Amino acid sequence: MSALLEVRDVSRTFGATRAVDKVSFAVEPGELLGLIGPNGAGKSTLFNLIAGVMPPSGGKITVDGADVTGWKSHDMARAGVARTFQIPKPYRQLSVIENVMISAFLRERSVVAARELADATLADLALAPYRDRPASELTVGLLKRLEVARALAMRPKLVLFDEIMAGLTPTEVGTMTEIVAGLPSRGITVIWVEHVLYAIMKTATRMVVVNRGRVIAEGAPAAVAREPLVVKAYLGEEMKLA
Amino acid sequence: MKAMPAKPDGWRISGLPARGRISWFELVLFAICVAWVALGLAPTLQDVVVLSFLFAGLALAWNIAGGCAGLISFGHAAFFGIGAYASTILSQSCNVTPWLGIFAGAFAAAVAGAVLALICARLKGPFFILSSLAFAEVVRIIALNWSDVTGGAEGLSIPPVPNLANMVLGSKTAYEALMLVYLAAAYVLTRWLEASRLGFYLFAVRDNDEAAAAAGINPLVVRTAAMALSAALTGAGGTLFAQYFLYLDPTYVISPELSFQFALLPAVGGLGTAIGPILGSFLITPLSELLRSNLGNAAAGLHLVIYGFGLIVLMLYFPSGIAGALEKLRQRRPRP
Amino acid sequence: MNTILQLVISGLLIGSIYALMSMGLTLIFGVLRVVNFAHGEFLMIAMYGAWAFSRLLGVNPYFAAVAVVPAMFLFGALVYRLVIGSAIDKPHLVVVFATMGLSIFLQNFALMTMTADLRDVPPIFPHSISIGHIYIKGELLLGFVVTLCCTAALQWTIKRTFLGKAIRATVQDGEAAKLMGIAVPRIFLIAFAAGSALVGLAACVMVPLFSVFPTVGLNFVLIAFVIVVLGGMGSIEGALLGGFCVGVVQSVSAYYVAPAFGQLFFFVLFLLVMIFRPNGLLGQKGAATLGMNE
Repeated sequence: MSALLEVRDVSRTFGATRAVDKVSFAVEPGELLGLIGPNGAGKSTLFNLIAGVMPPSGGKITVDGADVTGWKSHDMARAGVARTFQIPKPYRQLSVIENVMISAFLRERSVVAARELADATLADLALAPYRDRPASELTVGLLKRLEVARALAMRPKLVLFDEIMAGLTPTEVGTMTEIVAGLPSRGITVIWVEHVLYAIMKTATRMVVVNRGRVIAEGAPAAVAREPLVVKAYLGEEMKLA
Repeated sequence: MKAMPAKPDGWRISGLPARGRISWFELVLFAICVAWVALGLAPTLQDVVVLSFLFAGLALAWNIAGGCAGLISFGHAAFFGIGAYASTILSQSCNVTPWLGIFAGAFAAAVAGAVLALICARLKGPFFILSSLAFAEVVRIIALNWSDVTGGAEGLSIPPVPNLANMVLGSKTAYEALMLVYLAAAYVLTRWLEASRLGFYLFAVRDNDEAAAAAGINPLVVRTAAMALSAALTGAGGTLFAQYFLYLDPTYVISPELSFQFALLPAVGGLGTAIGPILGSFLITPLSELLRSNLGNAAAGLHLVIYGFGLIVLMLYFPSGIAGALEKLRQRRPRP
Repeated sequence: MNTILQLVISGLLIGSIYALMSMGLTLIFGVLRVVNFAHGEFLMIAMYGAWAFSRLLGVNPYFAAVAVVPAMFLFGALVYRLVIGSAIDKPHLVVVFATMGLSIFLQNFALMTMTADLRDVPPIFPHSISIGHIYIKGELLLGFVVTLCCTAALQWTIKRTFLGKAIRATVQDGEAAKLMGIAVPRIFLIAFAAGSALVGLAACVMVPLFSVFPTVGLNFVLIAFVIVVLGGMGSIEGALLGGFCVGVVQSVSAYYVAPAFGQLFFFVLFLLVMIFRPNGLLGQKGAATLGMNE
């Protein structure tokens, strides 16, 4: 089975800075891939390259074997790649259900069908009580869940999560982790960029660690956590974890 | 008739205006307008009524681009003028009746609107405003100098001979009815848009175009569609104006003042709503006529001094317009 | 050959005066991110002020700067307090319409009080200065010099004084500036007032060259917008460069092409800049595009 997403030798430079330096990895269908690394490692840039926010300076990206290098956001969305935003970007003057309907329209042409899909997605994420509220009234935790709802309403093949745990209470983190963990069984592959390590460590099936624009480790979460390079990248010095 | 979505909770008519549903307020208002025309009320004010209806339709047209899609344009007079001139030139040079020419004019305006959007839609707020201004000025100067076709500064006159086939009507009441039909058409179009997939896309691109792109929407395509639709409806209004006023001259018809008016009325009434532009026109159009006729002679410019002052105050204290104020009222009542 | 040289030099000189008139606009946009649609009327009021001062005291209008510049500073501060300040955090449409309302108000107030009669001051320099075959009006040369001095002074203020640093901090990141103890609303006020004062200075230099009447602002505001956009919103040097370009284009095209099309050139130039270099020649990347959500 070919990889769902393949990133090959992808680079991105900004002036003199190499934010992403010849990164390669692949994601198989049904995986929950965690993408971690210390601040400034290039995770966000890599994320944005895959999401189509900016084109890579070099390298190739393929989805289901098709070359999508340099494709813009809306084209990536149509190719089945959904993403969330780290700082939620709701449509402020629309209600919660309408926010999700916009995404649902990708798959359903009629307003009625889009509304049904949106309602079902809201129910999945326990957002139904807020259905008719203006999005501008929601708290950060709810907005982040709305981001997830919008991504899922697109019936994507692949979802890219961008630090969805930031700013959430421990209970909220638990709820969100459950939601994310349940996605692969629904046929949705996940790439998850995250800083809140304990959440991602117990849910991810595989991890990729980047530092300074390069992949420094790849593998099962437990193995990756013990790699000296990874520990050094996060803590800055050699240190035994246990 | 009116295309309303079948909502799962059944569609009902709300009391005060709301997005996505008709309200009693609007039905009553429409009934009043029809009655006004049918009963021939206020014969001395008929010019004002004709213009109020026409401008309400024009305000709704502007609102599609400005209120729904967030494309604040100060150049819509260009589309107005293109529509007006296109149908008039077709009528005078090619004997095409304005009843058909109005569609040609709307189409020409739509093309112009699409061009403007394709060139400038990715620009931010003030930059887009200035670009639209520049665009309209280019159109105006071309119209002014292309005398062979447009009559240049002398303008074009339509003979005031009542002839239904050529859309020259015999009475002011007939014009009131014509403009009311235009207004109703613009209103229906706006309501349909609000409830349609395209309308949702307009709102999405207006509120957050990065999120919209991530949802699979191409902001440029959506903005171009909005601008083309808005321009077409504005162009149609231009034709109707030409057939009413019977004289076209680029200095008035494609002026920044007129463009400003098209933007002002929805802003005062409430951007992005279906009722806002109508309320804006019904308030401002008679008011400016009133101010001008009563004070315009007292001291040159006094009526505009008051107008300008009023505008500042209105903007600072009612930024969401009249419809916004009504919406706040509606939210205070318990939901039905 | 001489003709071209004459046209270019005249163009550069008048362009510098246009630049001076536009610097206030670009400063206001650079700091506050608002377009003051009443900019032309500010110029008109200042020109009336310079004319009145010069007539009343029998001196040439350049001396009027002593009174007009501070007066415009205060006027700008007043307008900010009453109109702009409360509109800043609202959607930008509010400022657009509020300043347009202000524009209508001021134009017609001037019409009511001063009537539509053209007001002039007699020429200051009796003869043009001649250098070889080139003739230069003294008033133009003086304006050029004033503009250069003013640009240098502004650059010095922005780069060397604390106020300048505070302004730059506010432009780069208003939130961070607040956290550093900079009173951002006060910076906005100062920037708006200073922009208005610059317009006052430009007016004093322009009155010997142009007649004053209530709608004189309309002629110049379009030029100012083109210059600001061409040079890059917020860039003082950009305004100077933009002014030179516009001045030369206007000078050359007025001679070689029918005057009716003169204005057309401006707008086409404007649109071309918007299409190909929306951030202007010297503006910050991304100021004009990068999404329409503030």
